[in-house]
Amino acid sequence: MQRLLDFLYQQREIAVFLGLEILSAWLLINFNNRYNASFLNSSNEAAASITQTTNDINDYFQLSEINEQLMLENEQLQQELRMLRSEKLNFLDTVDQYRVIGARVINNTFERAENFVTISAGVMDSVEVGMGVISSFGVVGQVKSVSDNFATIYSLLHPKVLLSAKVKRTDTKCTVQWDQETFDRAALKYIPRHIKMKVGDSIVTSGFNSVFPENILVGVVDELHLEEHMTFYEAKVKLATDFTSLYHVFVIKDVMKNEKDSLEAL
Amino acid sequence: MNRVSIKEQILNLILLLLVQLPLVHRITLFDKSFGFFYVGFLLLLPRTWNRSYLMVIGFFSGLLVDVFTNTPGIHASASVFIMFIRNFWLNIVNDDFQELTNLNTETLKKTGFIYFTLPLIFIHHLLIFFIENGGFHLFWMVLSKVFFSTIFSGVIIFVINLAIAPNKRRA
Repeated sequence: MQRLLDFLYQQREIAVFLGLEILSAWLLINFNNRYNASFLNSSNEAAASITQTTNDINDYFQLSEINEQLMLENEQLQQELRMLRSEKLNFLDTVDQYRVIGARVINNTFERAENFVTISAGVMDSVEVGMGVISSFGVVGQVKSVSDNFATIYSLLHPKVLLSAKVKRTDTKCTVQWDQETFDRAALKYIPRHIKMKVGDSIVTSGFNSVFPENILVGVVDELHLEEHMTFYEAKVKLATDFTSLYHVFVIKDVMKNEKDSLEAL
Repeated sequence: MNRVSIKEQILNLILLLLVQLPLVHRITLFDKSFGFFYVGFLLLLPRTWNRSYLMVIGFFSGLLVDVFTNTPGIHASASVFIMFIRNFWLNIVNDDFQELTNLNTETLKKTGFIYFTLPLIFIHHLLIFFIENGGFHLFWMVLSKVFFSTIFSGVIIFVINLAIAPNKRRA
């Protein structure tokens, strides 16, 4: 008995090692790919405020680039406004459905195997888990978790994000998913072979779920393959959002989400 | 020589671990090499400390980095593993200095320091990138990331240590 206890005492380092590794594995499995409000990620108040401070310093060196982007965006908005005024579309019912919350990007990765964006808007600004996020150029991602003043977002450059999209020209429904290769392109899936596709076709959001409104640009078809035996095209999209320079984003709040969901649940 | 230099440990803690946190994604070279230099803080903890404590310190340091990278568990598990094998490797690399307590470029000599740190950094980065990748697809791309990141982190740790060590000699 004494020798058994001695033996166990000698092996205590192995026990600590195994214990800690199992704990890590548990964290890895439980906290990594779940929509939640866990404190173990970058929307944690303490971590986010440190990140924001370094980002504030960083911003000074990129002011000219940010300015240029804002100007471009302004230009686009002006154009859209003029178009809307002249056409006098009966557009009101779709406009009312979505509210837009502006936010600043305080951390953003694009070179890793799974990428996230951290923004400076949270529960206080009525951001909720699961909302869609866009930039002035196109789709950015979906909210993963929120704290009082910050939110972590699944970037479109995260392999678990499946984006419901459609081909603008033909209205064919398809799915966009990142293939982990380069940060400016993603895979385009489930376009059946009888659809005539061209390189250069625009891919936009489908609007089938209440995450994104319809017709927000995702990207442009960049590469197309179709062999004899394939039922679906093998295609790549060049993403509209430039993840290497992301400074301002907009969180989209669907005001009618609850109504739609409760209707569909019946 | 045998007393643990608290001053050196605190300098390592600040320069290698705390500076890493806000910079964890800001220092990236050519989209391929990531400087995870906080591992230097773990590698240079005193040799005489109990290995169980070293592993616990490794776990919490890794978890702290994980909070900033949105990867709970990945850095923690790799750091615990590094702390587990560190002393074995240290004994293999230099059995001349068995009584050595403080580890830095001065006590290990420059070449000894590099032999000691680089393989461990490589293993640490190998674990991180392959766990993050979730398998062995894109094998060569991930391996090249590991390779370049190891060199990058290694250089940063070496330079920071060179910067700390001479100060100590003068004092």
